Amino acid sequence: MNTELAEITRRKWDKAAASFDLMAGYGPEKRWAPFKNEFFSRMGGGRILFLAVGTGLDIQFFPERRDIVGIDISPKMIEKARGRAGRYPGSLALRVCDVHALDYPDDHFDQIFTSCTFCSVPEPVRGLESLKRVLKPGGELHMFEHTGSRYFPFNMMMHLMTQLSKHVGPEMNRATVENVARAGFVVDSVHHVYLDVVKTIHAHAPIDPPA
Amino acid sequence: METRPYFLFGDIVATASAGALAGLAAVATTFEGSNMWIAMLIGMPVGMAVALPIAFGLGALFGAMEVMVPSMLGGMLSGMWIAMAEAMRGLSLAEAAGWGAAAGLLGLVTTSIANALLRSDAPGA
Repeated sequence: MNTELAEITRRKWDKAAASFDLMAGYGPEKRWAPFKNEFFSRMGGGRILFLAVGTGLDIQFFPERRDIVGIDISPKMIEKARGRAGRYPGSLALRVCDVHALDYPDDHFDQIFTSCTFCSVPEPVRGLESLKRVLKPGGELHMFEHTGSRYFPFNMMMHLMTQLSKHVGPEMNRATVENVARAGFVVDSVHHVYLDVVKTIHAHAPIDPPA
Repeated sequence: METRPYFLFGDIVATASAGALAGLAAVATTFEGSNMWIAMLIGMPVGMAVALPIAFGLGALFGAMEVMVPSMLGGMLSGMWIAMAEAMRGLSLAEAAGWGAAAGLLGLVTTSIANALLRSDAPGA
């Protein structure tokens, strides 16, 4: 991603950090809690990357004693996440980092988790390709995402909402499942949480990269 | 189908108020005797636009997409329906708000049915 776009994204999320918990910290978290508990229970014993940690709202759902690195493009988000990360009973390191420019070696992580992240990554396929690079062959990608819809009138509504929401935060009409496949992951399963606009996506990095 | 009382209450309040306000906005932007199809086309975006701030605001309390989608659908249905009714025979403000709230609840019922269908269709559901 070019540095100008990265800077725009960083500024947008730095600005959102102050009111983020007010918008997302109560209703959505409480409503999705049963799904997120199940979702994060897939965290295993290896090295885990959690992408877009935000203010750390999801840390409460992490199983104990895992080895996790949480990254975010926004220093202000990371700053707000530090208190929650400090209370996590396991290893949880926080870093400011852009998904398009991950500075980890190839095949570094065993699992990658995202939560409402790829609605906001400016170049989603490139971001996912970057994740594939740092994920071990056969490593797992688990995503809890909101996306666009295939069905009228929900698809139209998602497009309309995006015209407003993209200026202050996420885009509501992303084709994230298709983007995951486009980036070279093998999609194992997709589960709908609400309509077809909130879903979990489970995929893995191919063991033998295409010739 | 959401069964937790707090969220069910939130869904009903959000969709009914989005529909009621959309209905009031629809009567404010159309008038009796105008072409009902044009009134409907005006009412639809007006209803959605009015529902949007309610959807975002109450979403923070009761859930994101689960509040936004039915509220916007309810606002859209209310805007279309009330604008058409206003064009055909004129409505009082109380009628517009009442029927608008009913249209908002219809948006909730519709999305709940769609949700049940889509989730049962999903692998692993």
